[in-house]
Formats: sequence, structure tokens, C-alpha cells
Amino acid sequence: MSPLTSAHVTTPPAGTSLSGEQSTGEPSAGGQSPSRTGQVLNRVIAACGGVMLMAMMALTVVDVIGRYIFSAPLTGAGELTELLLAATIFLGLPAVSLNNEHVTVDLVTDRLAQRLQPWRKAAIGLVSALVLVVVAWRIWVYADQIAAYGGSTSSLRIPIAPLGYFCAICTVVGAALSAAVPLITLFKSFKGKR
Amino acid sequence: MEHWPIGMAILMALLFAGVPIAFALAGIGLVGLIAIIGPLPALSLLGSAFFDNGRDYSLSVLPLFLMMGNFVVQSGIADELYASAYAWMRHRKGGLATATVIACGAFSSVCGSSMATAATMTRISLPSMRKFGYPDQLSTASIAAGGTLGILIPPSVILVFYGILTQQDIGKLFLAGLIPGVIGVIGYAIAVRLSIHFGKLDLPVESKLPLRARLRALKGTMGALILFVFVMGGIYLGVFTPTESAGMGAAGALLLTILHGKFSWAGLQSVLFDTIKTTAMMFFILFGALTFTNYVNMSGMTGDIQSFLGGFGDSRLLLILVILCIYLLLGCVLESLSMIMLTVPVFYPIVAAHGIDLIWFGIFVVMVTEISYITPPVGMNAFVLRSVVPDVRLGTIFKGLTPFVMMDVVRVALLTLVPSLVLFLT
Amino acid sequence: QTTLTVANWLPPSHPLVSDVIVPLTEQIAEATGGNVTANILPAPLGPPAAHFDFAVNGVADITFGVQGYNPGRFKTTNIAELPFIGDSAEAMSVAYWRTFDALLKEAGEYDQVKVLGVFTHGPGEIFLKDVDVSDPDVLKGQKLRVGGGIVHEVASALGAVPVEGPSSKAYELLSQGVADGILFPPESVSFFKLIPQLDTAITVPGGLYNTSFYVIMNKAKWDSLSAEDQAAIDGVTGEALARMAGAMWDRVDAEGVTAMDGKITITPATDAQLAAWTQTLSPIVAAKIAEVSQTGIDGQAAYDMFLSEIDAVSAE
Ligand code: NA
Ligand code: NA
Repeated sequence: MSPLTSAHVTTPPAGTSLSGEQSTGEPSAGGQSPSRTGQVLNRVIAACGGVMLMAMMALTVVDVIGRYIFSAPLTGAGELTELLLAATIFLGLPAVSLNNEHVTVDLVTDRLAQRLQPWRKAAIGLVSALVLVVVAWRIWVYADQIAAYGGSTSSLRIPIAPLGYFCAICTVVGAALSAAVPLITLFKSFKGKR
Repeated sequence: MEHWPIGMAILMALLFAGVPIAFALAGIGLVGLIAIIGPLPALSLLGSAFFDNGRDYSLSVLPLFLMMGNFVVQSGIADELYASAYAWMRHRKGGLATATVIACGAFSSVCGSSMATAATMTRISLPSMRKFGYPDQLSTASIAAGGTLGILIPPSVILVFYGILTQQDIGKLFLAGLIPGVIGVIGYAIAVRLSIHFGKLDLPVESKLPLRARLRALKGTMGALILFVFVMGGIYLGVFTPTESAGMGAAGALLLTILHGKFSWAGLQSVLFDTIKTTAMMFFILFGALTFTNYVNMSGMTGDIQSFLGGFGDSRLLLILVILCIYLLLGCVLESLSMIMLTVPVFYPIVAAHGIDLIWFGIFVVMVTEISYITPPVGMNAFVLRSVVPDVRLGTIFKGLTPFVMMDVVRVALLTLVPSLVLFLT
Repeated sequence: QTTLTVANWLPPSHPLVSDVIVPLTEQIAEATGGNVTANILPAPLGPPAAHFDFAVNGVADITFGVQGYNPGRFKTTNIAELPFIGDSAEAMSVAYWRTFDALLKEAGEYDQVKVLGVFTHGPGEIFLKDVDVSDPDVLKGQKLRVGGGIVHEVASALGAVPVEGPSSKAYELLSQGVADGILFPPESVSFFKLIPQLDTAITVPGGLYNTSFYVIMNKAKWDSLSAEDQAAIDGVTGEALARMAGAMWDRVDAEGVTAMDGKITITPATDAQLAAWTQTLSPIVAAKIAEVSQTGIDGQAAYDMFLSEIDAVSAE
């Protein structure tokens, strides 16, 4: 591993399975090693999202086998996959925010003085949270609109609005974490100096 | 000229200040849209961009191919594969990076998406290159660049889009992508050599193994070969579509993990958690990029470009050169599919009027799109690398990509000067 | 002087854009004496399904699309999408608009927008490869790519194996052999480059299915126009728009059939096939008409008016 990588500050060396060796099984923690609450949240997300990913995979397998061998494809496999995909994406957001793993352009920022970094990150956390809160609000409003006309999937008639509310809630949690994680780090950097 | 150049400049400033790419794109896109269509419509469009585009069946390949890659790592297949690649390549400087580029080309023939190719190959090849002491700069760049072949070597989602946009035969477009794809692999292999030479990289070189030992090492490729044949064979025999191959491949990789005796609940949890996080990261960048593209779409940029191109007489070469420059510039800041949707409808009537073959132009567009995947600051394949391995600096990846981008430009120049290389098979 | 933004999710070369939407904007400009012009956006703002709400929310001023892309939202479209309704897209479209104007709009599904037009494409037919066209059970076990909604139920009822997927994936599904055939109007088979993948077409009198389209305008934008401009626009939309769109579909279907010459053999369905299919599908037709009645209008009366208007327009 290059010295640049290990010295780099935006995201300290990521957990286990990402760093090249065989994974040790602990859900990886990217940024600050998360608090106990954070670890619980990571586990909940890993469990729920894991079930959804496995379901997406199983849907394809059952659909293909059904269609090819029994001439009986799984009705609605495509639309279930679409719902699961959106749910997985939005469920993953709080985990990314909690572990401070959003992709940034670090071409310039890493050259900034070390003592300014907590301030910069706190400011960026607040900007990120602002954007996400607006996104969450608009997804919620959009879901209301879809609920009003009874929008559903095509074959299975699964209502779409509840998925929208779920995505909006995940986004709010992601917004809160995007702001809280760097703010707590900033706060701790004060306490450390005193 | 409207205010879109200002919007792009502010976007650059925010990106370089370290605002996460997804939120910088979404934020500037929203503000720009408010300026054009007013607050309430702009906010509605934001909600739609984030909620509607995540429910797209064809995008389900991203998490499922990511999961397949994660299982391949977990099963130990990746280690075996690279052990055997190393047995064959250990006496060549940078042999593993070259092997990675070739493997990317092979994987591209079953995967129509560049991001999915890069994500899968990161999982499979990066751990081994790290184990053998390759610097991240070279190994990540060879994956990010090799991954771009996903949209050139058929199947290709971008070529299907282009064929429908311009009413060209998709089968011919696929055939036309083959030779440029092979040239791309060769070019990237040369880029690996260049990186080693100019980077003065000190890579491990060991004595050449006897043939018998190398043949014995081939046994380690069995797992990967089975998976590859399963995915490719399934597609070519019509058992499942390239889109479905992601789910089938993930299931196959899980099965191999179990058969290899490497399955554990903790390992499964780790694979799934990593897949969820990477999926969220990638899709939020995509949603942000689409919001920003909506702003550009409404801002009148394409009209400005059209009147600009009208100023160039009837020299074909000059026209292509100007279009290349526009693509290189746009490719820096726009997401690839959006770039194509914005520009191809503008360019192709002009290009056709100049007597340029539209099949050739399709391959040209795909090659410049490949470049857009790996140029800073918005380079989706570099982001994929960065989201799969968050401990690598983006700067490191982009720096390593310089010789690969250079080889891409050389390839575009070659295929512009010798168009028969593209049209030969069609 | 007003400029309307038109959202477009199709390639500019698609006949629905080049031969309907573009002429429509020109007609609006001409009818209003240049007071109301239009700007068609170069790239899509979002997926096709989002376009109805784009007009509702004022994201764009005029949008067009397919009601079936928003399942659960529209029930009155059922009558225009049933099997065996008509052979001429122009006659069906004009009749559909008249029925909409007289009865269907009372269901309130379009209350949030100004409707400029509703119409249908040409009759949806069966396209297959390597089959015995005279076999009464020709569809049994055939993997057919279909869109969602009624056509999915039609394919299942006839013993085919419906393969789902957006129309942009049709090429992939057929060329990979995942689907054996497709239910499409001839225009779409040609437009999506599917002719080399197929060799047989079976035509059904009145079509095996159809698709309903809308062209709508943001309500606030409509209300902001002067009464004269509104009247001028009403003069070139509604039935006139439906007629123009229907005539376009008929023309491109004919071009599609010409493009199939020597590559796809077109055969009418046999009497035995028709008898069996009509009988199998009649419960679906009844159920879909009953669903229209759930909106509070008389579904059967609307269906009867639609069919008699098709005859009336055809006789004109
Ligand atoms: Na490919
Ligand atoms: Na770029």
C-alpha cells in the first residue's frame, strides 16, 4: 500500500473486507469507528438490506428457471426487483453517511492544513444534510401525490407510495447522520485540546 | 449564451472544496432549475429524479454484479485466479496489471455496463495486486480504464441507446465495437508499460516458473472459468438476458463460495453490507448527475453548441476534432448516459450531413464516452473504484489514469484516420 | 408572447415526435398568430412514467406519454386497449377522443391537467419465429415479450409465456433468444430493429391489444393564456390532434409492413384460432369494462359508444 494511502485523511483505511485481505466478517466501518449506537444501526441495515439483495437475486433465479424449464415465469419479478432496488439504495444511504464514505473529489482538500479539516468537514456535513433534507421532503411530497391517484405496479398491483415514504425516511436519517458525524468529530477535537 | 457556464463553474468549485459529488451535483442542479422553471416545479423534478430513477429494472445489474464480485472475493476464487495469473506473469514487469486489463476485456463481453465491469473487476483483481505489492495508482487505474471497455465490447447499453436515437442497426454497431475493443485492450496494456516506465515503478519480478508448474497453476482458474462459462453461456444460449445474468452470476458465485467451503454467516453479512453501501453511493451520484443534467437540458446548452458547430465549414476532420474537444470538456462534468442523450441528437444530423458514417460515429461516441468515465473531476469509473475501496484517494486514481487517457486519445485518433478498422466487420 | 416547454422522452427521430408533436407545436404557433410558441427539450427530464406528473407540477408545460406507464392511475383507458376493437388507428383515435370528451373525462382522472388529446396506435399483432402458423395452439408455450397491463393478461390467457421488459429491451430479449416473439404494432417491430429476429406475423381483425396515449398541458399555464389563444389552441387539438396522431400511426404501420417485405410472412389468423381466442378473451374484456365502471361512469355505455364511433368514423 502506498504511503499516500495510509496517510490520507478524508477516509481513514476502510474496514476489513475492503482493504484487500479476506473479510473478517465484521460489517466494515469506514470513517471514525462508529459508536455502539452506530454499530447497532450498521447491523440493522446490513440485515434488512441483505435480505432485500438476496431477494433480488432469488427473484432472477426463480424467474429464469421457471421460464426456461417450466415455461412459467414469475409474474412481476421485474417490478419486484425495481421496488427492491430503490429500497436497497435508500436503505444504504444512512450507512454511507454514518461511516462517512460519500465519494468526494479529494484532489485539493487533502492539501489543506490539518487543523482546518474538522471545520471544513463540519461545514460540508451541514451542506450535505441540507441537500438531503430537501430531497427527503420532495420524495415525501411525491409519494403523497402517487398515493392520491393510487399508483401501483403493473402486474402485482403493489402500491408504490409506501416505498416513497420509506425512501424519504431513510433520506432524513441519512441527512441527520451526514451532519452529526462530522459535528461530533469537531466537538471532540475541542475536548481533545483542552 | 445562457447561465449554464456559470453553473458548471460553481459545480467545479464545490467539488474541489470537497462537497460529496452526489450532493454538489444535486444542489447546483436544483438551484439552476429554480432559476429557470421556478421553485415548485424544480423541487418536483428533484423528487422525481431521486425516486423514479431508482426504480429502473435495467439498473439492477449494478448491485447484483457488485454482489457477484464480492462473493467471488469471498470464495477465494479471486485469490486462486490471481495466483495462477501470477504464475504466468511473475517474470514480466507489471504482468498482473496487464492480466487485469485483459480480464476486463473478457468480462466486458458479458457485461454491457462500464460501471458494473469496473465494480466487479475491482473486487476480483485489486486484492491480488495489493498482495503482490502493486501501487494503488497503477492497479486502480488499470481497473478503471479496463472497465470502460464494458460499453465498447458488445453487449453495450450505450450502443443500444445510440442505435435507437439515430436509427442505426444495433447488430452492426455491436460488430463494429469488436476491433476497437481489442485495440483498446492493447492500448491499455501499453499504458501499463508506460506507467511502469515513467512512474519508475519498482514492481516485483521473479524468476520464470517451469512450464509444468505454470500448467499446474492453471487448476486455480477452474472456479472463475466455471462462473465465466455459466454467465457467458447462459447469455449466448438465450437462457437469460445480460440484465438477468447479474442475478444468475451472483447466485452462481454464492454457490461456488459454498462449494469451496468458504461460506460463513459473518462473511455473508460483510458481502451484503459492502454491496448495500456501494450501491447507495453509486446511485446517489447517479441521481445527482441526472438532476444536474436536467438543469443543463433546460438551460439551452445544446442550442448554444448547435449554433457554435454551424460556424465550421465543411471539413470533416475539423468537425470531428471540434466534436471530440466538446466531448472531452463535457465528459469532465457530465454523467455518461446523460451526455449521450444531450449531445447525440444534436450532433448526428450535422455529422450525417457531412457524409460521415453513422455506425462509425456511434463507435466514436462510445470511445469518447469511455474517456469521460475516467477523467476528473466527474469520472464515474474512478468513483466506482473509490466507492468500492474507500481507502484510495481519488487523486491517486486520476493520476494513475493519465497514460490510459492518453492511449484512449491515440485510439480515437487512429480510428478517425483509419475508419475501416471500425467498419471492417459490418 | 408565451413559449411553452415541451418535455420529450423519445428519440427526435420517432414519428410520434417528428410527425405529431413537432407539427402540433407549429399548428399552435400558427393558430395563435405566433403568440404561443413551443420549445421541445433536447433530452428527457426523466423516465417516461414521470411525464404525466411533469405536466401536473409545471416541470414542463406540455408532455405526452402512455397512460399504462402509471398503473393504477387510469381505468378509463381500458376501453381503448382491449382486443378486437379496430383496424385503423385514425378511426380508433378519433372515436376515442369523442368518447373521452362525451363520457370518459367525467371519471375525473385528468382533472389536474388540460387534455390536448388522447389517441391509440394501430392494432397490435403477433410476431413469431419458426412456428406453424396454421396450428390452432400456435401461441401455446411461446415466450412473448409484452408490456404491462391488459396485453400481459391477454398473452397469459392465450397460453403464451409473457416475458416482461420495457420496449427498449425488446431487441436484447429477442436477439438473445429469451423471448421467442413479441406482441407489437408493425411500426414498433421496425422501429426497434426487430425484423431480422422474426419471420412470421399473424394478424388479428381489430388487433390483439392496443395502447392509449395522452398529450396534456399544465393547467396554470393553460389558464394564463388569453381566451382567444385558448380557443385557437382548442381548434388544432382534441379531435384534430387525435386524427393527426392516428393517421401517423396508420402511415408508419404501413411503412413497417413494407419494410418486412420478403423477411416476415404476414398471415391472417385462421378461423379456428380466432374462434378460440375470442372465446378465451371475452371474460377479460368483460372484467376490464367492469373496471371502467368503478370510476363512476357507465363502462359498457362508453365501450358501446367507442365501437359505434369507430364505425361512424370509418364510414366518413
Ligand atoms: Na460489453
Ligand atoms: Na469525466
